[in-house]
Amino acid sequence: MLWYKAWLESRTRFLLAALAIAGFCACSVLLHRDGVQMFDRPPTYVEYIWELVYKGYLRELFLLLTILLGVGGLLRERDFGTASFTLGLPVTRLRVVSVRAGLGLAEVVALSLLPALVIPSLSPLTGQSYPWSQALQFAVLWAVAGALIFMMGFLASSLFGGEYTAPVVAFSGLLVYSVIADLPFFERHFLDVNDIMSGTGMPYFQQHGSLLVGPVPWNALGVILLLVFSLVTLAGRITQQQDF
Amino acid sequence: MLCYKAWRESRTRFAITAATLVGFCLFAVLFRNQNHANAGLVIPVLRSSVFSERVYDLVYDGTAKGMFAILTIFLGLGGLLRERRNRTAIFTLSLPVSRFQLIGTQVVVGVAELAVLALLPALLVPSLSALVHETYPVAEALHFSMLWFACSSIIFATAFLLSVVLSGEYTAPVVCYLALVLQSAIMSVTVLGRRHRLNLMWTMGEFGRMRWDAQHKFLIPDPLPRARLLILMLIALSLLALASRIENKQDF
Repeated sequence: MLWYKAWLESRTRFLLAALAIAGFCACSVLLHRDGVQMFDRPPTYVEYIWELVYKGYLRELFLLLTILLGVGGLLRERDFGTASFTLGLPVTRLRVVSVRAGLGLAEVVALSLLPALVIPSLSPLTGQSYPWSQALQFAVLWAVAGALIFMMGFLASSLFGGEYTAPVVAFSGLLVYSVIADLPFFERHFLDVNDIMSGTGMPYFQQHGSLLVGPVPWNALGVILLLVFSLVTLAGRITQQQDF
Repeated sequence: MLCYKAWRESRTRFAITAATLVGFCLFAVLFRNQNHANAGLVIPVLRSSVFSERVYDLVYDGTAKGMFAILTIFLGLGGLLRERRNRTAIFTLSLPVSRFQLIGTQVVVGVAELAVLALLPALLVPSLSALVHETYPVAEALHFSMLWFACSSIIFATAFLLSVVLSGEYTAPVVCYLALVLQSAIMSVTVLGRRHRLNLMWTMGEFGRMRWDAQHKFLIPDPLPRARLLILMLIALSLLALASRIENKQDF
């Protein structure tokens, strides 16, 4: 029942995000001939898809929609006057938080899979082909990195109850993180989820040809997943201490 | 009193946006030697290590511009539907003012906040540049402030209209953000959009309209596109008027 409640609260955002991502992928594929005009030199189809989808517009769209998936929670319910009802349910606060996080992360995974489903299947319609293996590897990278970004919105909504404060704080936090992660010192020692998602500068990515050539960085992804799990636990602990 | 109410409701969002913009301008100017020439779409012929170009890359056509556009969406969220969710709509509607005054006040306060935010880089960048023994022309900074204000007014108006029409709490910002991305993507890809530069983000950052001065010291833009900005603001005004009409008819 908690899962259903969390689904009802997030389904509109999820469905809009899914529609946007699927639509963007479809347009990128179907308008390929127009899209390549944007480039200084004509790219290969794989390079074109990487620039537009996995590095460019769609990646940024995915990140920001993921943050918006994460916001909500008991602090907002308090403002609506429904927190007492939710807290009156025979479940712990940690379970309430965990279920919302779990469903949100599942939605992030589903969104990550969309480009992997749409692009390789629609490409033959334009006489092109995009390798399924590439698309699925990018889906894995996006799912894990997206989970971390989701937790930014989720944690912000556990800390800030004001209307729209949580997404504004989360967006600003994402910006600060992106800028700091690009600084020379931090670039060497910091996990940059933007680069992990696109492969830019990563040992498993070949810039010439825009292909994932090495194994998926399971160590880095493992660290990110550990961080995600820690943030869920932190959000749960914060919610347990709050007074509604 | 209505202005104070609107200010209280939006001040946190405004403060966070302002703090982020200020922080970013500080970063762009004071840490100029550590910054990469980043993901801003400066055409290759303009690439160099000149201070003016780095500021343009990072602030006026880069990360700060994108962030400002996105956070403007949240500044624009208003209307009475969200008050209905919070169960304060009845109180607000019982005040001895018309709905038009209620909405108008929210819009005025929001637009004033936008103007202040758009002016922040124009205040900070030239003055901070002097601290690091660099120069950034005030006229150019104000040029971009005008562009940011005019373009963000459309985003603000769209967000406001959507928050009047769509009742879900986060539906309006999601739809507004998607509309912004869609507009940018379509106008970048289609021939018509590229030829007439109909991409809002391009207009905000004067993409493709920057050139070096004679001494190759400053990146300077073409003259301010007054007609284009006027049209943008008229469109924004129309959207706000439409939002007002819709809210007048709604039942709370």
